[in-house]
Amino acid sequence: MIETRHLSKFYHRGVYALRDLTLTVEKGEFVFITGPSGAGKSTLLRLLLRQELASEGELLVNGQDLATLSRPAIQEYRRGIGFVFQDFKLVPSRTVLQNVSFVPEVLGVPVAAQHRRAFQVLKWVGLQHRIGAFPEELSGGEQQRVAIARALVNDPALLIADEPTGNLDPDLSLEIMNLFREINAGGTTVLVATHDRELIRFVGRRTVHLDQGRIAEVM
Amino acid sequence: MRLIRYAFREGWTSLVRSGTSTLFSVTAIALAVAVLAAVLLFTTNVERWLDEWSSSAELSVYLDDGTTSDERGAIEDAIDVSGIAASREYVSKQEALARFRDGFSSLSPLAEGLDGNPFPASVEVRLAPGDGVEAALQALARQLITLPGVVDVQYDRDWLNRLAAGLDVVRRLGFLLGLLMALAATVTVAAVVRLSLYSRRDEIEVMQLVGAPVGYIRGPFVAEGVLQGGLGALAALAVLGAGFALVRSLYGTALAQVLEGLPVGFLPPVYWAYLILGGMVVGAAGGFVAARQAV
Repeated sequence: MIETRHLSKFYHRGVYALRDLTLTVEKGEFVFITGPSGAGKSTLLRLLLRQELASEGELLVNGQDLATLSRPAIQEYRRGIGFVFQDFKLVPSRTVLQNVSFVPEVLGVPVAAQHRRAFQVLKWVGLQHRIGAFPEELSGGEQQRVAIARALVNDPALLIADEPTGNLDPDLSLEIMNLFREINAGGTTVLVATHDRELIRFVGRRTVHLDQGRIAEVM
Repeated sequence: MRLIRYAFREGWTSLVRSGTSTLFSVTAIALAVAVLAAVLLFTTNVERWLDEWSSSAELSVYLDDGTTSDERGAIEDAIDVSGIAASREYVSKQEALARFRDGFSSLSPLAEGLDGNPFPASVEVRLAPGDGVEAALQALARQLITLPGVVDVQYDRDWLNRLAAGLDVVRRLGFLLGLLMALAATVTVAAVVRLSLYSRRDEIEVMQLVGAPVGYIRGPFVAEGVLQGGLGALAALAVLGAGFALVRSLYGTALAQVLEGLPVGFLPPVYWAYLILGGMVVGAAGGFVAARQAV
C-alpha cells in the first residue's frame, strides 16, 4: 500500500528531516513509526498526507507517486485517508455530531447520510450519548475519540495518527490503541507515529524506529 | 446549490462570531456606499430638475413693432420647419405688458409711468426635449435673426448645458471618491476575513486534509465578505434614507419654496439594488483576496 524508495526530505542548509528512507507497508498492516523527537516521524506523515513534497526519492501509495498528483488528485487521494492528531483539531464551535458530520458534508454527501454515518461512527467509538456536546465539555479521551470518529467517517483505507495519545493519560492511551486495533482488524491500514514504547509493547505490531531521519531499526 | 447554502451558513456564523471586527468592515463598506449614494441622490435630483427645465426651455423671438403679418408668418414657418419646436405661441405687445404686470406686481407702477408699451411682441417657442437639439437650435437662431421683422433671438439652453456639464464632473468625482473608499473597504474586509481565517485555521487544515473542494474551503470566507458588504450597503441606505426623510420633514416647506415646486425624491429602487449589489461585490472581493492568500 505504501512504498518509499530512497525518500529524503531536507530543508534549507542541508538539514535532513528524512534521509534515504526505503520502506514498505502492506495493505491492512498496522505499523508504528517511532523514534525520539526530531527523528522524522511527523515529516513522514506530512509527506504521506501530501502536505509536503519529498526532496528526493519516491513515495507511492497504492502505486500512485504522490509527487505527480494535481490539486484535484490530491483532494481525491486525501478522501481515502483518515488522520488523527495529538491536539485533536476539533472545531470548538461545533457539537460532537457536527465535528464528525461536516467531513461528509464538505464532500457533498446528502444531509441525511451525513448524520447517519456520523452517528454510526460515534456509536462505534462509544460517544453516541454525547453527540450534542461541544469539545470543551469533553475529556481528552473523549475528544480524541471524536477525532477518531471523524477520521473514520469516510471509511478510509489508510489511517494515519501522529502522537494520538500524546495528551492522554496511560489508561486512555490504551483505550485509544484498542480502537486502532479494532479499526485495523476491519481491514484499514494503520500507521501510528508515537514515541511511547509502552504502547508499542502493548499493541505488539511492526515498528519502524527512526533516528535522525534514517531507519535505525525495524522490529 | 449545496455549496452556496453551506458557504452562507458558515459565513453568517463566522460573521456573528467576529463581532467588533465585523463592525469595522461593515462600517467601512457603509461609508463607501454612503458616499456613492449621496452623490447619486444629489445628481439624480439635479437631473430631474434639468429635465424639468429642459422641457420648459424656450426660444424667444422678439419682433419689431412694425413686423407685418407676412413677416410673422415666415418666422413661424421657419420655426415649424426646424422640427425642434414642441409648440409655439405668439405673444402680442399687450400680452407681454400684462405678463410683466402679473409677474412683477411690485414693479407695475414703473410700467404705468411709461409712455406707450415698451414691451416687444414675440414668438415663444417651447423646445422639444431630446439629444441633438442643440445644433439645430443654434442653426435656427442664426436663421431667425436674419429674417425681416426679427430684432432679437434668445434661448436658455446654454446655462442648462453648463449645469449638465458641471453635474457630470460632480458625478465623476463622486464615483472616484466612492471607488477609492470601496478599495479601502475591500482591504478592511480582507483584513477582517483574514482574522476569521486565522481563528479557523484548524478547521481549514482539517478540511484540506479530508480533501474538501477548494470552493468549500474558500466559500464561507467569500460569503462572509458578501454578507458584510450587503449589510454595509443596507446600513448606508438606511441612514441616508432616514437622513433624507428627516431633512424633508424639518425643511420640506422651505425647500419647496426655494425649489419652486421642483421635484425632490430619494434614490429610485433600482439604485438601491445596484448599491447593495456593489457593496456585496466589494465584500466578496475582500473575502476572496483573503481566502486565496490563505488557502
